[in-house]
Amino acid sequence: MAFSELIKDHERIRDYMRQFYVYGFKSREEYDAKSARSYDNERRRIESWLGDYMSFWQDANGKRLFLSVDSRAIRYNPLYQSFKAKSFTDKDIALHFFILDIVADPCSLTVREIVERIENNYLSHFDDAFSLDESTVRKKLKEYENLGLLTAERNGREVRYHLSADTVNLDSWMDAVAFFSEENPAGVIGSFLLDKADVPPSYFGFKHHYILHALDSQVLLDLLTAMREHRAVTLVLRSQHSHKELRRVVYPLKIYASVQGGRRYLLGWHYGRKSITFYRLDAICQVTPGAVDGEHDDYMACYTRFRKYLWGVSTSTVHGVEHIEMTVCVGEGEAHIPQRLQREKRNGTVTQLDAHTWQFAADVYDAAELLPWIRTFIGRITELRCSNQMVVDRFYADLERLRQMYGGEDDAV
Amino acid sequence: MAAILKEAAEHTLTGDKLDQIIREKAFAESSLSIPAALRKKWPLLKNDLTTPIQHPPSMPLTSLQKRWLKTLLQDARIALFAPDMNGLEDTEPLFNLDDIVYFDQYLDGDPYGDAVYREVFRFVLQAVKERRSIRLRYQGRTAPCCVVCMPYRLEYSEKDDKFRILAVGKGKRYIINMARIQHCDLLEQTDMGGFHEPQPRCRTLTFILQDERNTLERALLHFSHFEKETVRLSEYEYRVTLRYEKDDETELLIRVLSFGPMIQVISPDHFIELLRERLKKQSSCEL
Repeated sequence: MAFSELIKDHERIRDYMRQFYVYGFKSREEYDAKSARSYDNERRRIESWLGDYMSFWQDANGKRLFLSVDSRAIRYNPLYQSFKAKSFTDKDIALHFFILDIVADPCSLTVREIVERIENNYLSHFDDAFSLDESTVRKKLKEYENLGLLTAERNGREVRYHLSADTVNLDSWMDAVAFFSEENPAGVIGSFLLDKADVPPSYFGFKHHYILHALDSQVLLDLLTAMREHRAVTLVLRSQHSHKELRRVVYPLKIYASVQGGRRYLLGWHYGRKSITFYRLDAICQVTPGAVDGEHDDYMACYTRFRKYLWGVSTSTVHGVEHIEMTVCVGEGEAHIPQRLQREKRNGTVTQLDAHTWQFAADVYDAAELLPWIRTFIGRITELRCSNQMVVDRFYADLERLRQMYGGEDDAV
Repeated sequence: MAAILKEAAEHTLTGDKLDQIIREKAFAESSLSIPAALRKKWPLLKNDLTTPIQHPPSMPLTSLQKRWLKTLLQDARIALFAPDMNGLEDTEPLFNLDDIVYFDQYLDGDPYGDAVYREVFRFVLQAVKERRSIRLRYQGRTAPCCVVCMPYRLEYSEKDDKFRILAVGKGKRYIINMARIQHCDLLEQTDMGGFHEPQPRCRTLTFILQDERNTLERALLHFSHFEKETVRLSEYEYRVTLRYEKDDETELLIRVLSFGPMIQVISPDHFIELLRERLKKQSSCEL
């Protein structure tokens, strides 16, 4: 079959794009999830969509392709392109323009009348055009009714179609759409709206911008829809290491998004374990909505109690709740340090002990989860205490390794 | 395809124009596939490059698009844009924004509900659109400040939940926190003939990453918003090179520190020196 840059199933290419973007050091042979031919096709598609951002380097073991984007320098997320490459049939594209052209005139037409107009006004201009049957047109009209493009009026067995009313002043929305197409979790929808503009606004820039989320848009939207409708979902999960597929039936409660680490998670009630569990969004391949669950309020009450001791997404309760305290020294003119403690803490308290000493204290499920944040205060930590001594030991062991790494204390090389 | 048919419906489509539209609006390989499909498969364009399509192609908003717009009305930041809400009265939001928890977002985000903030935002946005200069009054660290500059971008950080104004004035590049501005005056339109957006001063950081405790995935995702390149040196060792703006060096320093000994910076030297200083200072804290 001839190569096409369009795709039927976004899921097929999602993992390749992620690998090229996050890692970018693998050779063709290391993409072992699919065949080598599949790799070639997906690589060629991604190059066709995102050629400006693709680079490669070569060594004795082969060529390594990677996607590299300074997300601060771009105005629009280029990864949305992958959603604009959906494949279609020859009839799909022709019927799209025929039908919308027919209903552009104020009218209300039956399927038969639309078929006649397509044959007489459009297909008759072409000698070798495809043949058309009424059921194909009926399906297309139904599809467009579901999308909200057409409105159907039913009178007994007769159905008449006309263009849906659209009184939204999209021009007045364009600045908001330009901003939220990058900042809203379902921004890919805004990206399609921007395509309607002759010149989309380009006044906004984005710092600390994790564009990779775009690839999880469909999964996210399916989960958010289920949450709104209070439905259980069946998740198909792909293990990151073994590539095995797992199924889990979950009641989705919240999406937990990290704006510092780039990860997103589903927090849901795991029916089997009868507990709250996190699932990486990028590990979810498929979301199938299930029945409405009437216990929503109970799950939310459970979540409200549960979140009290969350720092990030670790729910480790091996030691129960752990208490941690960090004391830092603050010099003259360093008011930004207590400000940092106040704005960056996610729970816990910040207390001024004396003119130059501040203490952060918190009770959390997993104190080790705070270590990356605590390390950002290296240079001013006077004391670190934790009910789980392993956390303190790890901090000081890592600190010692850092000292070794950068040449000791006073005799830096 | 809509752009092609629009030209064709207006009898202004030429072969060159067709190629140009495909180059500008479609994918790289579309320049081969679309003309071929139009010749042989899609009954949309006649040989003389006219079309039986009568109207310039257009499409009403889909239900999904309307529901997404309605969802935006839940967001406090929509007050900065004041879009016309007519036409969405009977539309349900697509989802509830409070179903998403940004658990590590800083807590001192911009005051989107504040009337002064909103007015300043709109003036600055207007100035960017109309290429006008502005006079900004704000409280500096030690004294009130006033600056005349030309804004060219509004930059938002999701981590900080803050907008910053990127501007130029008197040959200098400014980055000013929107929330610090107390007053903004719109000034005259600026001649943009010779305007070039100032390029930030960039530097390159290279570090060796040890893949312990799943650091490879964590770090590469964490730093993924930078332009970067990763090379595998051995089974558990990688070399990562990324470009950063000089103004962000302190922030990058603490982000590197957050990975502890899993990341060892090997260049530039002055960055290594900054790390050593932090470690020395830490030693003095432990005395």
